[in-house]
Amino acid sequence: MFKLERRMHISRKVSSIIVFLSFLLAFFVTGVLFYFLGVNVIQFYSVICSVFITPNLLIQAVFRSIPIILASLGLVVAFRMGFWNIGAEGQMYLGMVAATGIVILHVFYEAIPVSLMLAVMSAASFLAGGAWCLIPASLKAKLGVNEILTTLMLNYIAMLFVDYLVYGPWRDPEGWGFALSVPFPDYATLTLGGHPSIAGIIISVAVATLVYILFKYTKFGFVLNVLGKSSEVAKYAGMSVGRATLLGSLISGGIAGLGGFYVVSGMIGRLRPRASPGYGYTAIIVTMLAQLNPWLILPAGIFFGGLLTAGDALQSLLRLPSSAITVFQSVIFLCIVLAEFLRRYRIVLKRWKQ
Amino acid sequence: MFEYAVNMNKNAVNEKKISRREFLGITKAAAISGIIAAGIAGGAAGYLARVPEEVEVTRTVTYTLPVKELKPIKVGYVYVGPVGDYGWSYGHDRGRRWADERFKNVESYYIESVPEPEVTPAIENLVAKGCELIITTSFGFMDATADAAKKYSDRYFVHISGYRSGAAGNAPQNMSAAFAEFYQLYYLCGLAAGAITQTGVIGYVAAYPIPEVVRHINAYVLGAQYTYKKRTGKDVKAHVTWIFNWVAPEQARLAASALIDDKNCDVVNYTEDTPAVLMVAEDYQKKGKKVWSFSHYSDMREYGPTAHLTGPVANWGPIYLDFYKMVATKTWQSVDIWARVGDYIPWRWRRPVEKSTVGKEEGTVYLLPMNPVIPDEYVSLIKQRYEEMKELLFEPFSVEGHDPDGKRPIRDQDGDVKIGFGERADRNMLWSMDWLVEYVEEPLPK
Repeated sequence: MFKLERRMHISRKVSSIIVFLSFLLAFFVTGVLFYFLGVNVIQFYSVICSVFITPNLLIQAVFRSIPIILASLGLVVAFRMGFWNIGAEGQMYLGMVAATGIVILHVFYEAIPVSLMLAVMSAASFLAGGAWCLIPASLKAKLGVNEILTTLMLNYIAMLFVDYLVYGPWRDPEGWGFALSVPFPDYATLTLGGHPSIAGIIISVAVATLVYILFKYTKFGFVLNVLGKSSEVAKYAGMSVGRATLLGSLISGGIAGLGGFYVVSGMIGRLRPRASPGYGYTAIIVTMLAQLNPWLILPAGIFFGGLLTAGDALQSLLRLPSSAITVFQSVIFLCIVLAEFLRRYRIVLKRWKQ
Repeated sequence: MFEYAVNMNKNAVNEKKISRREFLGITKAAAISGIIAAGIAGGAAGYLARVPEEVEVTRTVTYTLPVKELKPIKVGYVYVGPVGDYGWSYGHDRGRRWADERFKNVESYYIESVPEPEVTPAIENLVAKGCELIITTSFGFMDATADAAKKYSDRYFVHISGYRSGAAGNAPQNMSAAFAEFYQLYYLCGLAAGAITQTGVIGYVAAYPIPEVVRHINAYVLGAQYTYKKRTGKDVKAHVTWIFNWVAPEQARLAASALIDDKNCDVVNYTEDTPAVLMVAEDYQKKGKKVWSFSHYSDMREYGPTAHLTGPVANWGPIYLDFYKMVATKTWQSVDIWARVGDYIPWRWRRPVEKSTVGKEEGTVYLLPMNPVIPDEYVSLIKQRYEEMKELLFEPFSVEGHDPDGKRPIRDQDGDVKIGFGERADRNMLWSMDWLVEYVEEPLPK
């Protein structure tokens, strides 16, 4: 007879073993699934592994993982303070808008010195993403509106706002009427050594360090942590809950906004409608997988970027449909949810009492 | 999907039975596996027969060998959607299969559902796979394709639906641009619409306000105006609903119903990648209301057998086949292709109306067979115009295409003359069209 018991405390060791095992389970379940679909499972996994050991493919994986990593680092801040931000996608779009706005200001009015362009663009992206996240945060702080709904719905507003801009006032006058902004000039393109990934990874590590320092060494980080555990306790201890919620969500949205900056400046080089294929949503899985630990976000994000890259390779090498990798991702997510459950509850075997 | 993958492999391989001499040359591995297989088969047979003494096993061996003489060219495609979408990416995949089937000595690969920011990794993947020719089939892939062409100067790139190519001078020489253009066919659809509408009001469910869609709407409305005016002496009225989506069957359905119920439209055309609008028209037909619609991009007649008037269809195959040939024979030249009626067909001169090939599959863009409800007089007109367009003798965007009396210039919604007497729309006007003709009621979103 099984019985579920709530764990009062979990050691880091047990926790990581559970996560690791659930991960293996995901590989196993997917393997069985594909075996019955007639796929050569060994080849399937060797393609996935090859992504992480072939330098060329690994660079691609990193390239794709940076926006996911940045959005996840933003989510770490939000989730730790108990603010269930589903709106990283929309915050990224606002980051893209701000970065493009700065480029347009420069191209048409030369308002900003060239040497400061990237710095100004990233700062603007941070503020725009943060401001977008402040909307649901203030609704929550003042009126108690559930942030899950508001952040989610604001994603669509942000996406349509981008549509409005590129089909309307920001349409490239030399783009034959297609929906795109002006191309970013070289000095507004994020690249280091000819590739955006290196610059991206430096930004990611820097942001991860700052998030780590925030929670480890600052008083504000402590407030956020307490808020996440129980807002009642935080109130009782005399912390100003409203202010912390606002400031924390500003940081959370701001980091996601930086991800948007990377997408337009490093990946596409223009603003386009639907520029993010759901990075903000994948970031939620990555954040859960990394157990809200800013350092673990980096490998977890690269792993998911690698899965996307493996998806391309699987299509060209094994001629599998693109949904094959989506199936794998979803199985991993289900197993992470299972692991979360097992981290909270322990299964106790009991004999029948006679 | 999986079955299909197997078929693909067969394409690259020529099946043939091998002779005795060749049999001697079979590789060691094949021989060993043959022996093992024979052993297993023998063992199993022996086990089943339960005769431990002598077992005779006879095996016939057939092998397929790849053609050695000519190295197959490798082609990689990058699709923006899944190949099963019934719209854009499906159309390109059909084109790929069409070209593969005819060229034979080709190995083609595709990566589907590639999001815009991630096209570079997808292209890199195909380059690493050894593809000499890489074809990217979404407008949003344009800049990344040009960058890749610069980086891999020994490979060839084709971008669909954009404006950057070596020929145009805004991309490296190893990049070409191509598109299959529909505006002439939309004009012919318009002729059919004007010939059949009872209310004198036609509708259009439009995707995005970009020049491509705008010129399709204008061509459709001009065609309808021509025949409606000829028939009744009155001007046609047109309503356009923008749904801001390429694939949104539910929105398209709602928009089409609203056009029919609220605006009194009885012929509805659309730019949306599913048969949703046609199905709405078919529903009205079943309820006894005469409402008509068209196919879009592929043959959708089965979704509206009664309501279907005709429709523009694209076959990208001939364009792709042409690029295959260029790469295989090392005669590459950067080109900017805008395939219209008459391109890629063996006899590109006009035929007399009674011998018209309208409704037959030919070239890259063609019209589906016409519904017999369209009056004969107008069927011949459609045939005549189709044949004339093969030689570019007729241009829809001209006074001749607009007014049956040849008296009225083409005006936009503000009443400004856009195309006067003796004028025809040129490339620049077609490519940057940002105005709607006077008969459209709704303004163009800007």
